[in-house]
Amino acid sequence: MSELRLLKKIPTWVQYLLVAGVIWVLPILLSGSAYWKGILVVIAMNIMLAMSLNLILGYTGQLNLGHSAFFGVGAYATTLLIKKAGFTFWVAALSGSFLAGAVGIFLAFFATRLKGHYLAIASMAFAIILHQILLNWDSMTSGPLGIYGIPAPTPIHLLGTEIKFNNNVNLFYLVATVTMITYIILGNLLRSPIGDTLRAIRDDEVSAASLGINAKLWKIFAFGIGAFIAGLAGSFYPSFVGTLVPDAFAVVESFTYLAMVIVGGMGTMFGPIIGAVVLTILPELLRSLGDARLLVYGISLTLVVLFMPGGILQAFQTIRDKLFKSH
Amino acid sequence: MPDILNLTIQQTINGVVMGCLYVMVALGLTLIYGVMNQINFAHADFVTLGGFAAYFFVQWVGGAYLLSIVVALFAGALLGYLINLTIFAPLRERGDELRPLIATIGVSILLENGSLLAFGPVPYQFNSPYDETIRFGKIFFTSQSLLVVIVASSTIAGLYLFMKYTFTGKALRAISQDRETAGLMGINQKFLIMLTIVIASAMAGMAGAMLGPILVLTPFAGASVIVKSFAIVIIGGFGNMAGTIIAGLLVGLIEAFTTQYLGSGVIDLVVFALLLVMLLVKPTGLVAEKKEENV
Repeated sequence: MSELRLLKKIPTWVQYLLVAGVIWVLPILLSGSAYWKGILVVIAMNIMLAMSLNLILGYTGQLNLGHSAFFGVGAYATTLLIKKAGFTFWVAALSGSFLAGAVGIFLAFFATRLKGHYLAIASMAFAIILHQILLNWDSMTSGPLGIYGIPAPTPIHLLGTEIKFNNNVNLFYLVATVTMITYIILGNLLRSPIGDTLRAIRDDEVSAASLGINAKLWKIFAFGIGAFIAGLAGSFYPSFVGTLVPDAFAVVESFTYLAMVIVGGMGTMFGPIIGAVVLTILPELLRSLGDARLLVYGISLTLVVLFMPGGILQAFQTIRDKLFKSH
Repeated sequence: MPDILNLTIQQTINGVVMGCLYVMVALGLTLIYGVMNQINFAHADFVTLGGFAAYFFVQWVGGAYLLSIVVALFAGALLGYLINLTIFAPLRERGDELRPLIATIGVSILLENGSLLAFGPVPYQFNSPYDETIRFGKIFFTSQSLLVVIVASSTIAGLYLFMKYTFTGKALRAISQDRETAGLMGINQKFLIMLTIVIASAMAGMAGAMLGPILVLTPFAGASVIVKSFAIVIIGGFGNMAGTIIAGLLVGLIEAFTTQYLGSGVIDLVVFALLLVMLLVKPTGLVAEKKEENV
């Protein structure tokens, strides 16, 4: 939490309570607009995607352009397990996420052999292959037509009341809770020695190896966990949209997650959250200008890399330090 | 079975035509990678914009198609100059390996969706005057295909001669072999890197002008070519011109025969599966001449 010094004085559990309060109150504030309640769900999913990509890219230093594939595996596996195998949503979502994690580990075998630009292209090729499989495997995925009529997550019984997820408010509560749990677990993981290990690999793989760190193993670990989280986000996606088409997992979506991580602040816990929030809301605000979603991603990605290398988070910290000169 | 023979020759011709275009695009990527170890993701959009520049030159100005290839060349060169000025040159000062790549991804998204906004998603019909069919027995090809092969191979030959025999070409090769030593020998790196990007982008623009009449011209025309070009430069060996040419023709042929026997929907699957296998088995590419730090 050193990233936001203002929060340092507040005990962690109070911070979590505050966030929980914000999550609780957001749909109520937006109760007038069904559209923006839907955007809230998208934001929560994008935060998960950005956080998980950040684990691979920001903390472990692996330029992965195939993140849309993990998201897609989670989404399609969950849906197909529900529709074709008759699983309940929860079992399907968990299985789908584990499958995405396994796919991440598979890609990691390339990642351990390749670096930098080679890895970027290999992971991109991987995402293209998955997209093509989704488009061409008609009997399973219905190809470009997509899968329709995907039900909401199965209701759960909590303290004697039944909670349904067929509306965006409860769906948001569900995804936001999962996102928050993910954030807490990921934050603890990255503060632990494991986090130091991953950062050591990112900063200098040779030195890390000389300290006895098995870089291969930890890269596989980062890809596996990152892909699992992306798959988890993917498991909620179909029931939110109701339909599932391959183009939602085109390789350009990987670039949008990349933009979120870079714009917010790569290699920080809080940066990707800022990036996901800003880059989900901004295109919606500009919707009156036409479908400029990807244009916004392109412009902000370019400008941030050129002028704000640390992203919004670092720019904010720089401004604050200049204003308050605090230590 | 003369039919199978005919079919094979026909698909070989189709494959070589597409392969020539891929080589023109991929050679640019490989040249840029050679001198500065960077990938330009926006290279694809230079292909697209080259195609559109040529199209509008023919449609609005009423220019000749052959001249429009030259227009596309200059359009590409200009874009290359601009991307070096705004992205590569400033970021090189900071010495970060991956940021320029990420920035060009941003530029690529920007150009692609900017042209989508400007030109719309409906494909443009770009008619080349060279559309008469030439036939030998049962084998057909258009004179546009012939034009592509002639222009592409003479451009590639010109580039080869330039790299081999001119002082500037030698300096470029010196930079790709060892940047620091080349700098010590008094070679002006900044200028030559700029020149490389301009040459590479000009070739992308030309490819766009020739691609327009063969494929359809949409804001995404370049994107479909560029992903294959990435595959080509890796299969051929990054930074290696000969490897890129071999791999480009190979991918063109694979594409043609995949279309014939498996359907056009699975082309990308086949090409990228080959790429991943290549990365696992021989990551240095078909022709590996220099040591690679990335594998």
